Amino acid sequence: MKTPWQVMTKGDWLIVLMLLGIAVAGIAWLAAAPKGTRVVVTSGNQTCFVAELDQSHSVDLDGPLGKTHLVIDETGAHVTSSPCPRKVCISMGPAKHSGDLLACVPNRIMVRIESPADENAPYDLLSR
Amino acid sequence: MTCSAADAEKLARARRQVFLALFIALAVSLHILESLLPSPIPWLRLGLANIMTLSALYLYDGRAAWTVSLARVGIGALLLGRLFSPGFWLALTGTIIATSVMIIVHRICGRHLSPVGVSAAGAAGHALGQVLAARLLIIQHEAIWQIAPLFLFFTVFSGVLTGWLATVLLQRLGQHPAFQTAGVVFDGQAGKD
Amino acid sequence: MPWNRPLIIGIILLLLTLGWLRTNSGETEQVRRSQLMMGTIVEIVATGQDPDQLEAAIDEAFAEMARLDRLLSRHYQDSDVSRLSQSRKGGKVAPETAEVIALGLDVARHSKGAFDMTLGRLKALWDISQENPVIPKQEAIAEAMEGIGPRALSLEGLNLFKQSPQLMVDLGGIAKGYIVDRAIIVLKKHGINNGAVNAGGDMYLLGQHPEHPWRIGIQHPREQDGILATVQVRDKAVVTSGDYERFFEQDGHRYHHIFDPETGSSARGCQSATVITKSVALGDALATALFVLGPQKGLELLAEYPGSEGLIVAADGTLHPSTGWASYADSP
Repeated sequence: MKTPWQVMTKGDWLIVLMLLGIAVAGIAWLAAAPKGTRVVVTSGNQTCFVAELDQSHSVDLDGPLGKTHLVIDETGAHVTSSPCPRKVCISMGPAKHSGDLLACVPNRIMVRIESPADENAPYDLLSR
Repeated sequence: MTCSAADAEKLARARRQVFLALFIALAVSLHILESLLPSPIPWLRLGLANIMTLSALYLYDGRAAWTVSLARVGIGALLLGRLFSPGFWLALTGTIIATSVMIIVHRICGRHLSPVGVSAAGAAGHALGQVLAARLLIIQHEAIWQIAPLFLFFTVFSGVLTGWLATVLLQRLGQHPAFQTAGVVFDGQAGKD
Repeated sequence: MPWNRPLIIGIILLLLTLGWLRTNSGETEQVRRSQLMMGTIVEIVATGQDPDQLEAAIDEAFAEMARLDRLLSRHYQDSDVSRLSQSRKGGKVAPETAEVIALGLDVARHSKGAFDMTLGRLKALWDISQENPVIPKQEAIAEAMEGIGPRALSLEGLNLFKQSPQLMVDLGGIAKGYIVDRAIIVLKKHGINNGAVNAGGDMYLLGQHPEHPWRIGIQHPREQDGILATVQVRDKAVVTSGDYERFFEQDGHRYHHIFDPETGSSARGCQSATVITKSVALGDALATALFVLGPQKGLELLAEYPGSEGLIVAADGTLHPSTGWASYADSP
């Protein structure tokens, strides 16, 4: 039985090394890019939307009651419309610090701000 | 030795059907065996069943490869109880792209490659297909592409492994009278088309 | 079979990698999960060695919290609280309910009624959290306050007695804290000694954060992004009551969810009150009481609970820390 490299042709090596090169380049590029603060939205237990906090977004999030609309802009991530009766989620105001949470309880939508540079935050949890 | 049934063409077709059925059965068995092994990342597996897809491609043609790969995905999912689960769609998309890539690569540069190269290309296609399906079905956001390079890295190695195993298998099978016409012999030089 | 060197090297590398991965699993893991319940976001953080054990502990903690919420919240028809409110004289309650009420009665008496568990009718009348709240008329307020006070409820064993039939029990100022305490008990039962349970700002800190003691920021009552102070705590509860969470403003006055049992309207003495103490239930009740009492009387009440410290922000924005507060504060 011949070992793999005895079987492989020059063409094989070309393909394998090219693919590995693409993979390694991709990994290096991703590792080097500075990771920004992210907005992570979960519906029930599923993550349904992830975005960078420093890019503007406007998105509809689906829940059992309907669509909760989330806007991400300079003020942070905030809810602009939601099918819930009391609109508590809208009055929660913008979330932009690591650990901030917004939620539309009736529509089961939860928004949290996550930042990799958590060690730089002055506190771990906020008492309010 | 040879059966007295009709002509060589009908015999060849009958043989093809029987062997493809056997390949499918083997592929499904390999798939199920593999699913029992632990894996750090779900859906990241060696893809040993691909050995049979490769064998079908080399011993017969692209259509045979489609038959074996699609049947394996369907029957495998059925037996494991994962039919139409999210994992099933990932596997299906991956397999479709992988098989397409393998057939194209085999057709275009099969002369310069052994099954290892074809398999590696197919493995890359499989990874791409899985990430694409995950992006469409599970995590509706670009962040999912971040695992693609890492995924690709590992699947290249598994592709080489299965390609090598397929080569070993093909060399043995190629020596059997039933497959003489296929002319598959690999020794580090160009494989025959 | 020519098993040559590259193959053997490859296998050795693979085994080394697997070995390295296995030894690295001895590191501490931190699991953080959030769930929507009790009308707020509850976050549980647990640190330990085995992620499966951490997940199981958190699952059980959330389940226990949900169970107790069903028992103690006036928003459920079949809760103990709703049953009691609807009955004429009171009735038998679950042991957990009795525990909460006993603690609440203690704070109610010490605070001379500033903390009150009989404000159910008053809260329902105001209904702060609805879309277009309306200031109720004086007569309606007076009627909703009939019979309230620390003497209005008495507890004997598992039997609760109401002095007046129309009283509606409301444990909103203490139940959330109690439920957090119970979640912590579940975590400890699973052998977890480091973690936190945070129910919308009312929290208990167990042990410490993986890298340092728990640092808790206190929300500034008027600056949305501002922090009043940061405290470092270990195995303590931190609770803040503020007028900035659920409120509406009309004619220049802010109407919020903490009521003064003497006026029947929102308490005016403070912007916020923070308590650091040994249990979240006690912290919850004390923070509410401090808010209603205002800085001077509030700090006097706190002095009756040794081991509890607090920071009160008066209505004019001045800070009033208790004598021992500085021992927790990073920066006042």
